[in-house]
Order: sequence, then C-alpha cells, then structure tokens
Amino acid sequence: MAQELKALPDETLVLRAQEDDDRAFGELVGRYETKVYSLAMKMLRNPEDAEDVLQETFLRAYRGLKSFRGNSTFSTWIYRITANSALMKLRKKQLPTVSIEDADEREAPINIVDWAPGPMEQLLTLETRQAMADAIEALPAEFKQVFVLRDVEGHSNADVAEILDLSVAAVKSRLHRARLKVRNHLTRFFNDTRGQKAMGARS
Amino acid sequence: MSCKEVLESISSYLDEDLKEEISVEMHKHIGKCSDCRAEFDTLTMTIKLYKHSETPQMPAGCHDRLIKTLEIEKMRAKQGGGEPDTNPTGV
Repeated sequence: MAQELKALPDETLVLRAQEDDDRAFGELVGRYETKVYSLAMKMLRNPEDAEDVLQETFLRAYRGLKSFRGNSTFSTWIYRITANSALMKLRKKQLPTVSIEDADEREAPINIVDWAPGPMEQLLTLETRQAMADAIEALPAEFKQVFVLRDVEGHSNADVAEILDLSVAAVKSRLHRARLKVRNHLTRFFNDTRGQKAMGARS
Repeated sequence: MSCKEVLESISSYLDEDLKEEISVEMHKHIGKCSDCRAEFDTLTMTIKLYKHSETPQMPAGCHDRLIKTLEIEKMRAKQGGGEPDTNPTGV
C-alpha cells in the first residue's frame, strides 16, 4: 500500500488527499518535509523557527487543501506557503532586517579585490560557511526569499516568480541586487581574514 | 560598453540570459577590464559557493512532532472543529 503511494505522482496524491485520504497527504508530507525545512532554515537560520515554519506550512496546506485547484504544481504551492510563513516569521521577530529601499543606499564603497581565483574547495572553510550564512541573514527579507530560492535551492527564475507571485523581471532585479550584496559581504570577509593572516605571518 | 553597463547586466550575463550580441560585448569588455573581471570572478564564485551549501538536516524528533501536530489537526477536523483555510498561501 505504502509502496503503491510512493509510485503515484503528486497530482494524484493531492486528488486523493482532497477526498480525505490521510495516507496520501502523509506521503506528500514525506516527499516535501526536508525541502520545506531546508528552505525555512536557510531563511531563518534557527532550528526552532524553521520547525515552526515546517509545522505551520503543513497545517496550512492541510487546512487549505480543498482550495488547491492545481493552477500551479503542488511543489510550487507548498514552497509558496513556506516562503510566506518564513517571511511572516522574519517580520514578527523583527530581526534586524533592512527594507528594500534602505538596502540600496550606498554601502561604503569596497574595493573588489579578486578573491575568487583558485579552487573553490580551498575557499569553502567552516569560517566561510559561517560568513555565507551571515551574508544571507543581512539581506532584506524580500531579497532573502529570492536569493535562497534561486541561488541556494536552485530553482529557476520562472519558478521563483511563480512561488513568490512576482514577475520574472522583479525576480531578476531582486536577485541581481541580492547577489551584489552577498558578494560584497564575502569580499569584506575575505579581505579581513586575509589581512589577519598576513598580520599573523609578519609577527 | 561602459563598466556601469557591464555591472548592471552582470547577473543576467552569469545566468546566460542576455541577447547574444550583448553577451559578446560583455565578454570582450571583461576580457580587457580588470575591475569588471574581478566583479565577474567574485560573483561567479559567490554563486558557486552557495550551490555547494549543505542541506540542513531536520533535527531528531522533528518529523514525529510534525506528524503528531497533523494528527491532532485531523482529529479536530473530523470532529468538525477545524476551519478550512481558503487562502493558505497568504498571498
């Protein structure tokens, strides 16, 4: 039986779940829970908050299942609920986020030193991972949604637009600005760590 | 093509989302301008680094707690307690 459910496409499971087949809904939960958790965790960076969003997402999906008309795929729908729940959480917690308008105020100009040459593996230390998470955290919430969905989770621009109910042009514009901000954050990080290493070598 | 124009389109260039003639111009510019080359290299590496981010694992017990929450909701719904949500995505 469980084996049979595993073989079914999302659409069929949704139809069955809409007719109160709880096992079909359970199969959908199993398919998407890690993805939902991962998206929430990358946006919120806190396991308790991510778990809240996970629970909230599937509760809302369960309660709203009958209103799901299949205009989008189930995966788009579930990511949309996740991205919105996470956004609400960010706003409610009033985490130190910047509004989109403020975000484009000129940052202190930084000298883009080319820190990129060389193998990626050499750059990808534990400290770098920390800096990468910090860089996402520093983004305004609306940029964070786009950046995480597109560049971390690997969705296409068109999918991100559908998930967030934005035009593709708006996604591209936010993505561009988010990428520059994230890159600037990493540039500062690499400048600092290399500066410290150089100092250490001298002493 | 100016450096400013290159910078404005660099994200689309990385996504190979530009008309071919613009893309060729960008390529030429980046080939001879070290500032834009640095912009290009660091942005490319930034995106590459995030592509290799680790997927966060759900903590122990997280799945079971989710299932339990949903069980309670199902019971509530079956007793006629739960209100159907007509706008679950909140958009």
